[in-house]
Amino acid sequence: MFYHIVLYPALAVFGIGLIYKISGWFRFSIGIHAKTMTMWARMLSAAKGLVAVVLSQKLFTLIRVFIVDVLFQVRILKEDKLRWIMHMLMYAGFMFLLFTHALEKIIKTSLFDRYYLSLNPYLLVAGFMILSGIGIAAYRRFVLKVPRLSTNAMDHYAMIILAILLISGIAMELTKLTSYNHYQKFWYVHILTCFLGLAYLPFSKLFHILTTPASLLVNAVMDTHSDPANIATRQIMELDACTHCGTCSYRCSVAVAFDRIGNEKILPSERMQFLKRYITQKHLSPRGLAAIQQGIYLCTNCDRCTVVCPAGINLRDLWFNVREELIQRGQALPLMLTPFSLYRGLNQPKIDSERYDRPLNATQQWLTEPFELLKNTDALIAFTPETAAFKKAAVVSGTSFSYCFTCENCSTVCPVVNDYEDPQKQLDLLPHQIIRSVGLGLKDLAMGSRMLWYCLTCYQCQEHCPQGVNVTDIFFDLKNLAVTVAENAFESNVSDKQAIDLGR
Amino acid sequence: MMMKFALFLGCNIPVRVPQYALAARAVVDKLGIEMVDDREFKCCGNPIRNTDHQTFVLMAARNLALAEKLGLDMMVLCKCCFGSLKKAARLLAQDAQLQEQINAQLAKEGLHYAGKTNVAHFLSILYHDIGIDALKEKITKPFKGVKVATHYGCHALRPSDVTEFDDPVAPVLFDALVSATGALSIDWPLKLECCGAPLLGVNDRLSRDLTQKKLVDGRRSGADYLCVACPYCQMQFDQVQQMMAFERDMDFRLPSLVFPQLLGLAMGIEGDALGLNQNLLDISGIQSFLE
Repeated sequence: MFYHIVLYPALAVFGIGLIYKISGWFRFSIGIHAKTMTMWARMLSAAKGLVAVVLSQKLFTLIRVFIVDVLFQVRILKEDKLRWIMHMLMYAGFMFLLFTHALEKIIKTSLFDRYYLSLNPYLLVAGFMILSGIGIAAYRRFVLKVPRLSTNAMDHYAMIILAILLISGIAMELTKLTSYNHYQKFWYVHILTCFLGLAYLPFSKLFHILTTPASLLVNAVMDTHSDPANIATRQIMELDACTHCGTCSYRCSVAVAFDRIGNEKILPSERMQFLKRYITQKHLSPRGLAAIQQGIYLCTNCDRCTVVCPAGINLRDLWFNVREELIQRGQALPLMLTPFSLYRGLNQPKIDSERYDRPLNATQQWLTEPFELLKNTDALIAFTPETAAFKKAAVVSGTSFSYCFTCENCSTVCPVVNDYEDPQKQLDLLPHQIIRSVGLGLKDLAMGSRMLWYCLTCYQCQEHCPQGVNVTDIFFDLKNLAVTVAENAFESNVSDKQAIDLGR
Repeated sequence: MMMKFALFLGCNIPVRVPQYALAARAVVDKLGIEMVDDREFKCCGNPIRNTDHQTFVLMAARNLALAEKLGLDMMVLCKCCFGSLKKAARLLAQDAQLQEQINAQLAKEGLHYAGKTNVAHFLSILYHDIGIDALKEKITKPFKGVKVATHYGCHALRPSDVTEFDDPVAPVLFDALVSATGALSIDWPLKLECCGAPLLGVNDRLSRDLTQKKLVDGRRSGADYLCVACPYCQMQFDQVQQMMAFERDMDFRLPSLVFPQLLGLAMGIEGDALGLNQNLLDISGIQSFLE
């Protein structure tokens, strides 16, 4: 009686949850490429794609990936043996219990009949396997402290619910011959946990039991030429396939930047957690947007995350697609004016030209905005400019600027200056003028010119300076400082009450 | 004794210019240099220099510390990585306080940098550690009659007091290496200029202008091929040249190859093992110049 009273609602919630989540793959969209498609169009495309794959040679790819990556999880093995053991213990134990124990009414098995009145070794072994897997998971996360592996509420929930389920199950089995009273208590705990877990499954980390294999299989047969509708659907599904295992963050080329900057969105695994929420969010605070923009742009597109992801998620394409959407939100991003833009430059044909230039121009403007003097050429220069403090802050690379005698060699050899017809007008200031501005303590002039941001960092100026002025290095310092000035202005003007409408 | 280096590939080579690593490994193998790969090596810090100096130093220092832990000097293929690592090593050597701060941060990962790592570019190792004469002995199929324009790459040459790569105004290292293969290393006025890659995605017009100037100059000076030793330069002269050739209606192509491809061919290594077909602009024609 109790069993059924709990089972049916749990099954119902599970079913509704499943429908909600899976329909979400077709309802939601992310990034610039997925805007104009209806849910039905995407479902139809998915069905077509599915049929096409099953009827083609790609079916063999699917079978291979199912065996290698889904059943034997070779992608985890390649990364980390301990993790593979951990996962295999949980996975094998769980699958065994699911098919022989949880579904024993449906799948008849002869394994248990003999143990009706004694301890069932199969159940106990499987139970202990899962428990030891959970033990290793907890050990990795809390004792070993794998670098940049963060643990959130979802991870805690998954470990706790599995632990309760297994401990109550084992206790039940151990007490079934000795104390009916205890057995019954454990039975209630076991059954309740089991159905709670079932009902909550589509919304929990354990949903990856279904989604991760789906991601592995789908990514094995899809490529950049696949139907855009299916790519859009896949990218939402991939958010559910992410188990927050942290492999991407561990291997990420720039993850070490997080240790200094402290913005967790720099870590790809944490970015995935953000995106899970982002697809349904209506608003985002300016600070929240700035953090995710920085996190997603601070990326060398080295592909390592995509190569190592045990769930086979195509993070490379996801980042590109989402990054483009995020930088189009009208908020400037200093990282755009750095070599981090290389990948975007190489992919420029995929982005329409107006969209392409807009965030670059906005950032350029944002960074030069605080420096009034440069725009207002008629303004009087103060007799006592802010010298000492500015110079100290500006030039971590030393005081070589003071040796400048304005011979203009730097501006003469500069390939950027040479490329402009009217460089003074198009770049605001020439290199020698910037160095002189530092010497004179003219902050606005030193930091406000476009020349700084169009510097190639080719070091011709520095190499050719007869006075040994570290021109390029000083430019780096000035750019750093200009970013700080703009970010401070942003911080003081912004509040978390402000909300950017995400247009959903 | 066999020479041994920690190979630093950086972020771009494995994913966008894999032929560079492929060819370098093939060549170095024949020259009796052992290379050690370390998956822990990460971004050199170069891209973040514009906006965050401290983070740049940390990122570079982490790699230096890893090499130090291996007890090996670094062989760097990318010139931007090379310049970045050299710069950070210099900053740390000059500033004990900075070194202390950085080490405090590295300690979280159990790393420490004491300043022992020597950072060398691939070309320098061939020139200084192997030597032109020893290299010539390995040339079994020298080139004949092919004109090659060497592109030195900014961040190896300059700032010369930090990179210590070659004479910044009249370098010879790369030309000597190219000449060793039998190819003719030509003089061309814009040899030491920037390829334009650092501004790709930032100011594409300017970036492409610089690339185009170099291509026109190389062509005018009679080059059949450009030769580089940096993934940024190679991407610019290969992929970007292909993009801009249409946009700018260019009536010629000046294909570029990475130096170990050139050297490897002259050492008798097959084109496939050097990834010749991975270049976007066809460079297979260069094989017809082999003796």
